[in-house]
Amino acid sequence: MSFTQPKENKILEEALVRQFQGGDLEAYDKIAEIYQKKIYGLSFNLTRNQMDAQDVTQEVLLTLFRKIHTFQGKSAFSSWVYRITLNASYMKLRSKKKEPNVSIDELMPSYNGAGFQQEKIQDWSENTESLLFTNETRDVINKAIELLPEKEKVVFLLRDVEGLSTEKAGEILDLTVPAVKSRLHRARLFLRKKLSSYFEEFSSRKVEE
Amino acid sequence: MICCKECLDLLYDYIEGSLDQETTDSLEEHFQECPPCISFMKTYKSTTTICRDTLNQVDVPDAVREALLKVLKENKEHPGEN
Ligand SMILES: [Zn+2]
Repeated sequence: MSFTQPKENKILEEALVRQFQGGDLEAYDKIAEIYQKKIYGLSFNLTRNQMDAQDVTQEVLLTLFRKIHTFQGKSAFSSWVYRITLNASYMKLRSKKKEPNVSIDELMPSYNGAGFQQEKIQDWSENTESLLFTNETRDVINKAIELLPEKEKVVFLLRDVEGLSTEKAGEILDLTVPAVKSRLHRARLFLRKKLSSYFEEFSSRKVEE
Repeated sequence: MICCKECLDLLYDYIEGSLDQETTDSLEEHFQECPPCISFMKTYKSTTTICRDTLNQVDVPDAVREALLKVLKENKEHPGEN
């Protein structure tokens, strides 16, 4: 499911925000309901921890309640909510010791001097269906995302997981469009490499059986 | 013919559909000659799809939903206390 907003939703949402700014608490409840899952999902995918995601969601929803008067509508309301969510999630992450990230450069594709592929590339794209929702596959995917450096990870989550546009992700992260694209491309290459090792190993396992 | 490395640099825009016709043609010409790059492109696309499908499965657990409702309710009744 993607969270790209159809136009009617955006108009409805802007109306809700204005109603809440005017003191309508029911409008706040609706906003909280709309955003709860998005805030929780994004913070959970960043922190990988239910307690942290719960804390972040609570904090963000309370911030929306208290700071709604500071929202001026210069950017989309959703961008504002995402930005508050990211900041709160980063605070959680910063308070923890973290494992060093792997170097993303080592996992970029390699070519010979003439610019041609050096490694054997298997096409596993057709074989993921049966594997997709097994616990093992889920773990591999989550682990791979966890290993992404933060700069690439957040772009990947906003753009490919939440389904926001490149422009919107740039607005939220204060990045230019080319910067968003380049980070997203690197994230995808890194993840592709990680998933390739898994799916290739899996298909060789199947042959042996 | 463009090389595999150039092909990779174009992949992102190719998938977005934002390449001009001439560049698209030269990329597709490369694909015809180079099955590994087709596999690369397909698995590159698949990576996004399967990661998105997996990560979007995150749902707010009922216990969390209830706890949040309670906090928000208290907050509305007594703003600024938690
Ligand atoms: Zn090639």
